[in-house]
Amino acid sequence: MQQQQQPQAQPSPKPKKKIRVPKVVNGVEQMVEIEVDADAGPGWGPNDKHTLLNHRVTRVDGPLKVTGTARYTYDQRLPGMLYARILRCPHAHARVTNLDTDAASKIPGVKAIIQAPLTELRFAGAPVAAVAATTPEIAGDALRAIKVNYEVLPHVVHAPAAIRPDAPKVVAEENNLQEKGKNGDPQKAEAAFATADAIVEGEYISQRVHHACLETHGMVVDYRGGDTATIYASTQGTFTIAADAAKELGLTESAVTVSVEHMGGGFGSKFGLGLEGLLACRLSKQTSSPVKLMFTRYDEFVMAGNRSGSWQKLKAGVKKDGTIVALNARQYRLGGLGPGSQAGQPYIYRMGDTYREVYALHTNEDSSIAMRAPGHPQASFAVESLMDELAYKIKMDPVEFRKKNLRDEVYHRQLERGAQEIGWSKRNPIAGGNAGPLKRGMGCAVGTWGGGGNNQCKVAVTISRDGSVGVAVGTQDLGTGTRTYTRLIVAEELGLTIRDVKERIGNSKLGAANPSGGSTTAASLSPSVKDGAIKARMMMAERVAPLLGNPKPEEIVFAGGNVSANGKSLSWKQATASLPAAGITSHGEWRADLQSRGIHGVCFAEVEVDVETGHVKPIKMVHVQDGGLPLNRLTMESQINGGMIQSLGMALWEGRVMDAHLGMMLNPGFGDYKLPGSLEMPEMVPIIDDGDKREAVIGIAEGCIIPAVGALVNAVFNACGVRVRELPVTPDKILMGLSKGTQITQI
Amino acid sequence: MTKSREDHNPGRRKFLKGVGIAGAGAAIADHLWTEAEAQEKQPTTLSGNVKITLDVNGSPRDVQVEPRTTLLNALRNHLEPAVTGPKLVCDVGTCGACTVLLDGKPAYSCLVLAVDAVNRKITTVEGFGSPESPNAVQAAFVEHDALMCGFCTPGFVTTISAYLKKNPNPSLDEVREACKGNFCRCGTYPRVFEAALAAAKATAG
Repeated sequence: MQQQQQPQAQPSPKPKKKIRVPKVVNGVEQMVEIEVDADAGPGWGPNDKHTLLNHRVTRVDGPLKVTGTARYTYDQRLPGMLYARILRCPHAHARVTNLDTDAASKIPGVKAIIQAPLTELRFAGAPVAAVAATTPEIAGDALRAIKVNYEVLPHVVHAPAAIRPDAPKVVAEENNLQEKGKNGDPQKAEAAFATADAIVEGEYISQRVHHACLETHGMVVDYRGGDTATIYASTQGTFTIAADAAKELGLTESAVTVSVEHMGGGFGSKFGLGLEGLLACRLSKQTSSPVKLMFTRYDEFVMAGNRSGSWQKLKAGVKKDGTIVALNARQYRLGGLGPGSQAGQPYIYRMGDTYREVYALHTNEDSSIAMRAPGHPQASFAVESLMDELAYKIKMDPVEFRKKNLRDEVYHRQLERGAQEIGWSKRNPIAGGNAGPLKRGMGCAVGTWGGGGNNQCKVAVTISRDGSVGVAVGTQDLGTGTRTYTRLIVAEELGLTIRDVKERIGNSKLGAANPSGGSTTAASLSPSVKDGAIKARMMMAERVAPLLGNPKPEEIVFAGGNVSANGKSLSWKQATASLPAAGITSHGEWRADLQSRGIHGVCFAEVEVDVETGHVKPIKMVHVQDGGLPLNRLTMESQINGGMIQSLGMALWEGRVMDAHLGMMLNPGFGDYKLPGSLEMPEMVPIIDDGDKREAVIGIAEGCIIPAVGALVNAVFNACGVRVRELPVTPDKILMGLSKGTQITQI
Repeated sequence: MTKSREDHNPGRRKFLKGVGIAGAGAAIADHLWTEAEAQEKQPTTLSGNVKITLDVNGSPRDVQVEPRTTLLNALRNHLEPAVTGPKLVCDVGTCGACTVLLDGKPAYSCLVLAVDAVNRKITTVEGFGSPESPNAVQAAFVEHDALMCGFCTPGFVTTISAYLKKNPNPSLDEVREACKGNFCRCGTYPRVFEAALAAAKATAG
């Protein structure tokens, strides 16, 4: 049929406004300016007037997950599927001089062995080769049978060694120390220190922490020749894989379908095809078979990324009234081969005349990558420790001291709420001042995050003649509750229950969606879902208006499973029976006015320190968090708990241990890398700050991991009088502090 | 494919046939010996399949595995159709995500050889209930949002379901102690505890 150009009436141009929104590329958030409609339609309405949103709703995939029915990438098993494993370099810096795969390829069941595309291996654990075999065990046999000769090169894995001028170079001809920026006037800062009543100077060090996703990285590449391929991936970005995979497979991007039905944790580490995906594609192409390449737990520790370490030299001056007059900061980002990440000091505080220098300091370790609030817990830990030290120096209450140096009233409100909940008034202001060997103490800290969305989600809402309602978009649910709030938004708009709506997500053949990084998913997706639901409601209203005495479509009320106007009411099924055979489908677009950015959170912690053993027992944690319109209070609280618990690990137990001589990680397993466990859990109080009246969706996942580390180390100081400036706060550091009476920085 | 492996190592195959399942222990010793020998000489396959029957969630399931195949691997990668509720997370008995019940007692299925699970009742998370008809623990996990990504959840559900049989009215500290062998990364512990206590109450009531 020929399309004819129809002359169209020009719609009057809608008023526009320019806004800045975050866009996430490979887990890294960038800000871009876009133009949006100033007013694009009905809003969410007041936060306390919703029927489903801002309530406590159990997650829709819960029944599948608790019964083992949910199918994860790791659970995929296809006919004729091969199992792939990666051979890894045992040296921190080496070149492969010979790779002998003869014996390995003769093992029955071994189908392919390929060399990894790296010429120089710059960390222990770098991939050397990959094999595909008929069982995981045979793939392991093949790895052991491959003979590799290496030319071993000098390496350096510890920051204090890497910074020396004579240190082995991580990358030939390049300095290990790379300047990343200078801000402020050093002379002005120096002059301001002269006006201070007290000065604190310290070095703060945070360790490399691992994401430790329980489902390891990996994918199943199903390419058996032909024109199309399907990839089942454990990913935070359904749409971040096809393009690179297509290049490897020799297909067009649209010929590759990516599926992520359920995924077992990402925390910032799962974007893109990755080297493992590239190897899986090549193995699948070579064997014309589906290939499953999931990292082992060892693989996950040595090559799946980690939170950038930090080394921060801070000096601050304060007046007796609590005014901070100057800060001098020298910040090293410890990202291994990568640039690392670390928010600039003085982070969220005002500190008068500030000067900072930021460097990346490279070592022979795998690159750090984005991890839940990249760079922020590190900066927060250091500045919150510094704030505490300043407060004690001038004998000011740490809560009052923070209020004095924070302009935003929201923090004041939240600090008061948190203090009340933890029982701050019972805190002994003298550090270590409580009697007995088991000493309790309290600490607090403050955090912020963006959490805004961007224009990437295309949502289809379908209402069928039989009454069923579907919402489809290619987004992914990392365990955050995306599936659930997607349903909730549509159900509320159409006056239905959550059971009446079915969502389809996690497939690149569905409408576009943004990768889940930077807490941008909720604020990117929900406006598009809401827009799609409003449009579907209006389309249906026009259809049923004749049955209700021809009211204006916007006067028709959708509530309680009924569609009503003019005193007439239709049940949902009666109403949808008037739809055409194909039903109706609306297309939801992102609306800037339905989301916002900028969130606030405070954390309070109480701990008990055994001054005879140095053991720290967390007693209670409180986190107060705002976030505009809470889509689902139940899952939001779970996320706040998760932020506190992951912070507990960073503060007290977790950390990669590298051997200087061997250049390898000494604790690449849960037996030696201490995750938070059930026995260590304190009482946890997640509080949603309903003082936030913004009628807009904002992502909160990252905001609620930022302040807790600072709160915990400050609580340890208040309990026992030892200021541990190097994470994690382990018993040896506390005992050393108790015996020497000094601040502890071991580096 | 199976045939070619058998052809490759007929002696071993005969040996396994000869000793049958009762000789599983001996088969493991043989496996160790073969590995040492393999290192001395040239690499060779350690394979050799043995046909066994596993009692999984009340159904007899025939499967061919190597003696070294773990129960977890047999469930996930060898049974047809697969049983994927138990998750492979660490494969060395440190995380609890692969927990199953052997004759009612929790066990890490990554630390049990499939041949050693013969003649024992194997219960996986699928055996406790279905999405339509969950057991009390599963229902309480959903109700209290004791899961986020859900990858550790089958292990926790299995551990707690078994524990409540042993101790129907536990304290909070007893629940913590019961699931100390299970790790969660998303941070669901407080709600796992709530769910376990609620399930105990629901079962008692």
